[in-house]
Amino acid sequence: MRFPGCLWLAALLFFAVSGTAQVTTVPKQGIRENDPRVHALTNARIVSAPGKTIEKGTVLIRDGLIVEVGPDVKVPAEARVWDLAGKTIYPGFIDAYSRLDLPETLKPEPTRSDVDTDDPNAKPKEIPRESAKGTRSWNSRVTPERKAADYLNLDKKATKALRDLGFASALIVPGRGVFHGSSALINLQEADVDTMVVAPVVAQHIGFDFDRDGRDGDRGYPNSLMGAIALIRQSFLDATWYQAAQDAYRKNPATTERPETNASLAALAEQMQRNPAVFETEDELDLLRALRIADEFKLKPILFGNGHEYRVRKTLAEKKPALILPLDFPKPPEIERPEQALEVALDELQHWDRAPSNPARLAEAGIPFAFTTEKLEKPEKDFWSRVRLAVRRGLSKDAALAALTTTPAEMFGVADRLGSIAPGRMANLVIASGDLFADDERVLTTWVDGHYYDTDQARERDVRGTWELTAEGKMLPLVIEGKLEKLDVKLGGEKATVSVKDDAVLLIAPAKLFDKGEGSVRLSGQVIGETIAGTGDAPATPNLRWSAKRTAAFTPVKKPDEKPSPLDKPLDFPETYPAGAFGRVAAPEQPKSLLIQGATIWTSGPQGTLQNADLLVTAGKITAVGLGLKAPGGAAIVDGKGMHVTPGIIDCHSHTAISRGVNESSHAVTCEVRIGDVIDATDIGLYRELAGGVTAANILHGSANPMGGQNQVIKFRWGALPEELKFADAMPGVKFALGENVKQSNWGEKFKTRYPQTRMGVEQIMRDRFRAAQEYDAALKKKQGLPVRRDLQLEAISEILSGKRLIHCHSYRQDEILAFLSVAREFKIKVGTLQHILEGYKVADVMAKDGVGGSTFADWWGYKFEVYDAIPDNAAMMNGQGVLTTVNSDSADLARRLNTEAAKSMKYGGLTPEDALKLVTINSAKQLRIDAKTGSLENGKDADFVIWSGNPLSNYAHVQQTWIDGRKYFDRAEDEEGRKAFAAQREALVQKALTERLKEIGPAKEGDSEKKDDKEPPKISAQEQQRARELEPIYGSGHDKHTCLEDAASP
Amino acid sequence: MTRFTSYLALAFALALTGYAIASDTMPAPPQAKPIAIKGATIHPVSGADIPSGTIVFDNGKITAIGADAAIPAGAEIIDGTGKHVYPGLINANTVLGLVEIGAVRATVDVEESGAINPNVRSITSVNPDSELIPVARSAGVLTALSVPEGGIISGQSAVLKLDGWTPDEMTVLSPAAMHLRWPNLTIDRRPRARKSAKDQQKEIEKAQKQIRDAFQIARSYWQARKNPGPDFKTDLRWEALMPVFDSKLPLFVHASTLAQIEAALAWAKEMQLKIVLVDGDDAWRVAAQLKESDTPVVLGPATSLPSRRDDDYDSAWSSAAKLQKAGVRFCIASNGRGAETNERNIGYEAGLAAGYGLPKEEALKAVTIYPAQILGVADRLGSLETDKAATLIVTNGDPLDFPTQVEAAFIDGRKIDLSNRQTRLRDKYREKYRRK
Repeated sequence: MRFPGCLWLAALLFFAVSGTAQVTTVPKQGIRENDPRVHALTNARIVSAPGKTIEKGTVLIRDGLIVEVGPDVKVPAEARVWDLAGKTIYPGFIDAYSRLDLPETLKPEPTRSDVDTDDPNAKPKEIPRESAKGTRSWNSRVTPERKAADYLNLDKKATKALRDLGFASALIVPGRGVFHGSSALINLQEADVDTMVVAPVVAQHIGFDFDRDGRDGDRGYPNSLMGAIALIRQSFLDATWYQAAQDAYRKNPATTERPETNASLAALAEQMQRNPAVFETEDELDLLRALRIADEFKLKPILFGNGHEYRVRKTLAEKKPALILPLDFPKPPEIERPEQALEVALDELQHWDRAPSNPARLAEAGIPFAFTTEKLEKPEKDFWSRVRLAVRRGLSKDAALAALTTTPAEMFGVADRLGSIAPGRMANLVIASGDLFADDERVLTTWVDGHYYDTDQARERDVRGTWELTAEGKMLPLVIEGKLEKLDVKLGGEKATVSVKDDAVLLIAPAKLFDKGEGSVRLSGQVIGETIAGTGDAPATPNLRWSAKRTAAFTPVKKPDEKPSPLDKPLDFPETYPAGAFGRVAAPEQPKSLLIQGATIWTSGPQGTLQNADLLVTAGKITAVGLGLKAPGGAAIVDGKGMHVTPGIIDCHSHTAISRGVNESSHAVTCEVRIGDVIDATDIGLYRELAGGVTAANILHGSANPMGGQNQVIKFRWGALPEELKFADAMPGVKFALGENVKQSNWGEKFKTRYPQTRMGVEQIMRDRFRAAQEYDAALKKKQGLPVRRDLQLEAISEILSGKRLIHCHSYRQDEILAFLSVAREFKIKVGTLQHILEGYKVADVMAKDGVGGSTFADWWGYKFEVYDAIPDNAAMMNGQGVLTTVNSDSADLARRLNTEAAKSMKYGGLTPEDALKLVTINSAKQLRIDAKTGSLENGKDADFVIWSGNPLSNYAHVQQTWIDGRKYFDRAEDEEGRKAFAAQREALVQKALTERLKEIGPAKEGDSEKKDDKEPPKISAQEQQRARELEPIYGSGHDKHTCLEDAASP
Repeated sequence: MTRFTSYLALAFALALTGYAIASDTMPAPPQAKPIAIKGATIHPVSGADIPSGTIVFDNGKITAIGADAAIPAGAEIIDGTGKHVYPGLINANTVLGLVEIGAVRATVDVEESGAINPNVRSITSVNPDSELIPVARSAGVLTALSVPEGGIISGQSAVLKLDGWTPDEMTVLSPAAMHLRWPNLTIDRRPRARKSAKDQQKEIEKAQKQIRDAFQIARSYWQARKNPGPDFKTDLRWEALMPVFDSKLPLFVHASTLAQIEAALAWAKEMQLKIVLVDGDDAWRVAAQLKESDTPVVLGPATSLPSRRDDDYDSAWSSAAKLQKAGVRFCIASNGRGAETNERNIGYEAGLAAGYGLPKEEALKAVTIYPAQILGVADRLGSLETDKAATLIVTNGDPLDFPTQVEAAFIDGRKIDLSNRQTRLRDKYREKYRRK
């Protein structure tokens, strides 16, 4: 790993700390303190780096640096010697992501604003925000110039908490915005902030952040994930342009117009060349999105993970980005009540079960990662237990150590100074009672920059073992066992109590052991090596003297009932993509050749509809359609008797499979945003629509803007990742919109100022932007002056003007349609389709003349004023006037019934069955310019087809099979099998989760220390607890199932 | 293809008629003389189909039906050769008359403010001149339940015949039912949920308390009202609930998820109230319970998405079949607000259910006699039987499938104008192209 940006900083700082004492610019008050800073940590087991252990050796520290490590280090006389016999030394750990106590304005915005539901006047909580000042980006979410180092204001409690876990360093990250700003790597000693900083600028942090709840009204760009990605892209371009523009201006200030001054772009330009970019992700698809952006701008990506990395580990393994992994494994889902369990999806259950294995799976795949305490609610309690759980799940101890030391050190460009124990490294060390990656061992001391910090356990004496106690002329055996925090003590066979604080021991035992009658004796003493000596009180005998001598060491016995926990292994079910019900283990096979025999074949092509016909598919392509075709040897045969075969249905207007926002609805013009950036391959809608015969769709941006975002044509290759869904040869397009939506007619009182507010303005803003794009193109050709800023919005509009990008325009009323078509004519623009086009029947002649497609609803109307004139004869009437017409869904529900939506055009308008079917097959393909590949059953086309149980235009027919590229992506019989298999998996996971839930909701057991320090009120009501206890025997029997599952299996 | 050609001819004929009377659709005048439809396939629904039969109606009522039903002298005889006669379809969950254009607030009269509105009655706001009504009936939907929405107790619905000058003339039964909407009980636990799980739980508890309180208070009021003291004061809300306690007005409970349905059933049992379940996405999951308590279900539309990620893709499509198999009384309806402009499609909802396991004859009943029974109007509507209202349709095929046309419709024996805003616009623009 190479992070050149950090090297010069590294050199600078190395110089800073390598003097005899740390150089400081702070004026000294009073007498100087010049303690010799030489320490020898001897007799310890030294794990100097993952895989490198010295069983017994010494670490020599001088002036904050490690100077020697080995089994035979000569200890200089001035060294303070620390005998660490029985202890283990690790390199100081690095927390790869922390916010510590940065100000609120740098922490992520709260995700919801809880308001008191009983108070109608309650206002949502104010969100603390920095007021904009200085020269900066126009967008408040773009703050790359912000440096965590400038905000450091560390309180001792927070740094101590991290140190107590063994962290000697941490990356401090500002947590808000699209460009958060840069992180700083600090050492966690108790000192002035300026002394703590190891590297002031480590990485630029990027989040897919946007105005999620419309807080910022129509000025809140971005308010969608795709908007955030567009903003990231444009910002990188702007940064590069900014630097070039400043250079150009510096060279020729007399002849060049002065470019803007912008601290945000200056910082970003500098950092994108020097520093890695950390992308913060929410789900597995965000990881892939970040990698695409990193590729595009040649960044060195680090991905801040979300726990779902294992789902895409194959892709991650190819790209090998560095990962930062939080360990917030999910809590067991609340499934104890059947109606509650119903609301928990299988993928959630699976993730609960598999998440702790995430680090092990990634390590197996060779993907480097660092751990962080970030996202843990209680790191002090949970961090090490999670690391150890990950180890029990198969992560090697070396890999776990690497995640805390060498990997983050390399990631942040400080491997020459941090992350291992070797001469020349900073004296950041962890002293542990033993193997920290096994249970029950603890951090005793953390060394930072040559300073030591004890944890509360550091001076804790282990007094366990067998002792001989002498007092009052008696000698009694004293046996101390159990856990350090809960000793189990017997004196002369009687139960006694021992408490230890540092070297001081207090023993309380029954007085009768010493023949002192009723009551207790209290013995206090000091531990010195293997002996204890002191004084005590017994009833009526003050000041008795006592002593004890250890005769045998404590040997922990593994209790026989300590079975391996079921949590140590995920259940053995195959991983599917996407996770959850109906996911696929692998892409469906593509038979070399395939013959569908004896079916009614609707070709939607020149061959028309053939009875008792055959369809031959070879390697994913249609190779013959006709009567009595011969099956090649080895061909897969499908008996099509009684069945109907049609081309795959193509939905020209869909919003399926879009992550986090269909609309970038903030600005009036958003041609820079791309649906292709946010395809959600996990959307169950894909599978459901396959079950309705859909094989491809035009995934469109919403209609909130006159000139909206870029669309993406996809094939429904369920089980593949987003990039594999994209229809390779589809013509790029863009969504435009007219009428009520874009003029915000139905958005409420808050939205009355954005331009345009009338149809007149809609037409004008389009003209304006087309002119702007023309002028942009002209400017690109000029050679002198400032370099032209690359503008992705104008670039997309320019592609429209040059015929490379098709417009799909949401439209209803005839006046707006005619106005738009006249703009299109004036600028010689290709309009692919008018979408909805519910008054298309009024102007079908004009549409036909202009060669514009119409993609409409079968019978929706009247839901708003501009569609009061819609009629169900629209499709047939447009078709009749020669308009290339389709029927679309614009709905995840209707998409599954497009065959009968098309059939409505037979009822209204009298289309022939063949023409009706074409409205959702070949006509759609033509509108999307993919008709050379799909849309009809013709030789040479992709084998995208549907097998129906009967006439596809009848309400009574259903889909039997859906094929794409000669692969069967849906099969009704397989679906039935899948239901049963997924239900069984679900039940097994519910059973497993129930055991955990019962622990959580069951009555608190005595001595349950976890419960005691949990001050939160119990989340489960007494009634619910009672109910869960009642359910326990039912679930435990393994016979009874949820009613829902029993019924789900029936047809 | 022959069916298709005859359809074209018919469309042409209709087009001409439509053009000739290009004006607002008029309510039909009362039936003036007996009418007989002869030689058609008659689907009485209550009994076996009668191929090539005759149905006679007079004064708005069916007087004879059978293979050789006698045709009275002076009757208008309609040749039904090749045609089919069905009872008019009934949509048991609509907002017809209460909403014109959903996005235009001024045209919406469906939700009163506040949570407890048992006293409001849909019949007082039904707009007989709504353009949505002729559109619905052109597809054979001749009867609809018009239901107020919103809050917890939304008010009282009315069964409407979809033709008449005034709401009174349209009324078949009003009030038809009291509508209670069970609050959402599902907590959204996603980190980005609008409200915290705790606050959602608070809202749920508040709403459930409102239901309990309303009905307990209303019951006290009901008792107090039997022997009112001198200080007794009227409360319109509780007054309106009295017929529910008197078992004179059915209580329709709108509930969708398993948790809601179970809560509603348990509550009804405790309150000793008979209920009808409306929506019922998850009703099939508790089919046995519904059968046992004889709770009928007005099932939401078959064309809706599965409500959960893991649900079977056809869960809504096959839901009616599951209820039917379990012996639950049910009908298929639409889902009220949002569907108001396409109430005409209720037949297709039933047809789709038939595509996914519901026997075809059951699918037909699910939009004719079953809703009539559940709405308490089966003595007048829902099947073709003598003495029942002559509310029927004449089609050229199966009304649950495409591309069947409704060629004629009668409400109380009155021949209904099947033109509507949409056919008028169609004819106007056909004329535009004809003139070119």
